[in-house]
Formats: sequence, structure tokens, C-alpha cells
Amino acid sequence: MVNPLKAEQITKSFGNEQVLKYLNLELHKYETLSILGRSGCGKTTLLKILAGLEPPDQGTIWIGDKNMESLSTYQREIVYLYQEALLFPHLNVFENIAFGLRLDKIEEKIITKRTNKMINQLELDGMQDKMPHQLSGGQQQRVSFGRALITDPNVLLLDEPFGSLDADTRTSMQQLFKRIAGEMDITAIFVTHNVKEAILMGDRIAKLDNGNLTMFDSIEAFVRSGENSVQEEIDFWKNISEKQ
Amino acid sequence: MISTTSRFTYIARAIAVTFLFPVAFLLLLSISDSWIFPEVLPESLTFERWISLMNGNTDLFSSLILSLGIAFSVATISTFGGFYVSKHLAYHPKRNLWMRLSYFPFVLSPIIYAALLYFYFIRAGLTGNMLGVILGQLLIAFPYSVILFSGFWSKRIQNMEQLVKTLGGSRWQTYRRVFLPMAQGLLLVCFFQTFLISWFEYGLTTLIGVGKVQTLTLKVFQYINEANFYNAALSSSLLVLPPIILLYFNKKYLFKKRW
Repeated sequence: MVNPLKAEQITKSFGNEQVLKYLNLELHKYETLSILGRSGCGKTTLLKILAGLEPPDQGTIWIGDKNMESLSTYQREIVYLYQEALLFPHLNVFENIAFGLRLDKIEEKIITKRTNKMINQLELDGMQDKMPHQLSGGQQQRVSFGRALITDPNVLLLDEPFGSLDADTRTSMQQLFKRIAGEMDITAIFVTHNVKEAILMGDRIAKLDNGNLTMFDSIEAFVRSGENSVQEEIDFWKNISEKQ
Repeated sequence: MISTTSRFTYIARAIAVTFLFPVAFLLLLSISDSWIFPEVLPESLTFERWISLMNGNTDLFSSLILSLGIAFSVATISTFGGFYVSKHLAYHPKRNLWMRLSYFPFVLSPIIYAALLYFYFIRAGLTGNMLGVILGQLLIAFPYSVILFSGFWSKRIQNMEQLVKTLGGSRWQTYRRVFLPMAQGLLLVCFFQTFLISWFEYGLTTLIGVGKVQTLTLKVFQYINEANFYNAALSSSLLVLPPIILLYFNKKYLFKKRW
């Protein structure tokens, strides 16, 4: 089976600063790969290169068995989601979610059916006529998910999508994403600077540091590697509970 | 005792009357047969001038059509052209330089700017004709439009554009389904403003039109210079009507709270 996304020897510099150094990445079908890294370490640059929004200085990206250079951004079926929901302010919830289907000029009956199904899956029933400014941050992020997922993309790239949400909403959005990713067989890259979130969301984890990407075969391998603060976190909570 | 709301209503009505009075006065003067000081009202009325205008028998009618043609061309080109160009300038690495250049015609004064470029207009055969006047007026209206739209193109809009691309949208679809609807209010304001810039333009039109392109504004000045007050009132009435009509139809967009 051909992997949906493969990147080989990707490099990218801004001025004298080399942000990505001969980076290799392979994404398996229907998995979520968490990429962990500090702010400003090049996570967003990597995602933008994979989405085709930024050209790499060097390297090759494969989408399935096709070299990405032969495809325009809009032909790649890789959807990039920002931290901000970026809903279209002139469209209501229904139209925001149906947006990608309208671009494809799909039959109205099918658009209605698929959009309503998505609204139901996102637990947004009764909100189809609301405008984006009438929604909470979490609801806006759900609509943003729906708008991406309804197009059935090859790969979904998520750039710290829950970064601006409060702790409770963040937790419920993580659960929602996990459920929908399972239901819809989504292949995704989830970028975050939060170790806990990376572990929760990913089937595998990679760490981006100083322009180098280290891939771990499993969550356990990542925890064992010591390339994280997991052990410190465990010790912290142990101390707290022992004191009590 | 008068409530605050009623007081505001009275003030608003008083302001409306202040603005409407000159228009009403012009209309009355345009249908006056004879109105000589110190009479408060005209001695008799006539619709002859208006009828003759409607029949297309006067120069004024061709000036009206010419002015409408020029103003619609200038407003359409500068609105849509300015929208497109402002996007490219806004995201250009030398954005600040381009934006400073956009202010150039205004800093220099439009008429002086046109005078400086007059030589090129003569060489290009653009003096004394409609095309030349449209191009001349675009020298002011186009940068105005670019400056007006420059605030629209933010980082957020750029991110939206990239998002639409990854959702499968072509450039045309991005404009049609996202940019144009989002900028609808601004586009209408720009069209309205650039229409007015062109509609009331005098100096530049006189210079580049060399008196051969007789727009309505030029006609008003001509009648005033000739002390032909009744025709001046008629042409002035025509001059104020299109902006009022545009304002009436656009008011819901111009004054409506957007998202």
C-alpha cells in the first residue's frame, strides 16, 4: 500500500537561518502523526511546505505515488487548518461547512445530505443558520473541522488547532477529533508544542528540534526515549499525590 | 418635556432640511420662467427646459450621457482594478514603497500632476477626447481605490486565501466566493466615492479635455459664467441627482453594520 504522504530530504532557510535540515517524513494511511516542537522551531513552515503553500529549498514530496511538483495546491487534496478557525464571516454554519463541496460543483441534493450529516457528527445540530460571530471558539473550530473533513482530503494538516481554546473546550475538542478521526479514517499530521496533547492525539510521535525531525515508532518508544518531559510530569503528579 | 430621542429626531430632521433645501431650490429655479429679486417665489413656472432635455434636443443631454459614461468607466475600472492591484501591493515585499507612491498624486495635487503628464497625453493623442479624460481621472481615482482597499488585505485574509487553496479552490473561486462577498461593503463605498470623484471633477477634465469634452460639471461652470442661472440650475439639478440616487440605493450597504 502506498503511503499518502512522504517527504524526502526537505530543507528550508529564511535568510541565514536554516529552519528545516534534510528532513524525512512518512505518513501511514489512517494514522495521526503528532509533531512536537517548541514555538518557532519550524513546525508551521513544515506543514506549509507539505500543503504546497510554501516551496522547499530542496527535497521531494510524494502524495501517494505522485510527485507533488506536478500538482497545484488546489489539486493536492491536502487541507491545512490554522490555529484560528478562519470561518468565512459572510456565510452561515451550513454554507461554511459546504464550502469545499460548492467549489467542486457537486449536486445540491448531495451537498445538503452530506453537510447535514457532518453537522450532526460535529454535534452542531440546530446551528446551521447561525453566523460565525454567533458561535463560541470551540463551535467555530468544529465548523472549521467540518469544512475540511467534508472534502474527504488525502491528508489533514492541523497547526495547533486547539491552541487558542480554554482547557475544558480543548479537552472536548481533542475527544471529538479522536472520535471523528476514527469514524472517518482520517490521515492527519497534528502539530503541537504540548507533550500531553501530542501523546493524546497521535498514533505516532515525531519531534522537531533545531530543524531535525526525529520519528518514533510508537508512543511508548517516544516516552522511553527521554526526548521529552513526560517523566518529569509523572514525577510532578506523583509528588503532589504523595504530599496529600 | 422633550425626551432625548425626540430631540435627536428634531435635530436629524433639521439637518435633513438644511441639506435638502439647496436641492429643492435648484429644482424650483430650473423650472422657473422668471424669478427676479426681491420675489420670494417665481412669477411663473415652465417645464420647457426639462422637456427639451428629455427629448435629447440640448447639449446638456449629451453632456449628461458623457458624464455618466466617464464616471461609470472610472468608477468600475478603479474599483475592480484597485481591488486586484491593492492585493498584490499589500503582500509585496516592498509594500511600504508602493503605498507611498499611491499617495503621490494627492500630495502633488491632481491638477499639477496632470499638468506634469500633459506632454505625454498630447504625444499619445489623448487630449480632447473621452478616453484621455477617463485616463486622466483614473490618475486620481485609481490610487484612491488602492489606498482604500489596502486595509482589507490583512494576514488573516492571506491565511483564508491559503485555506481556500487547500480546500480545492482556484484563484477565480477565491475571488468570487470569498474576497468579493467579504469586501462587498467596501467595494460599494469605493465605487460610490470614485464615481463622485469623476462626476464632480473639473480642473483635470478641463486641462486634458481642452474644452472639447464637455462634462456636466463643465456645463454648470459655463452657464454660471454666462449668468444663465436657469440652465445652471437645470444642469446643477442633473449633477446632484445621480449621487442622490446612488446614495439611496446603496444606503443599506453603506450604513449597515457588517460582520
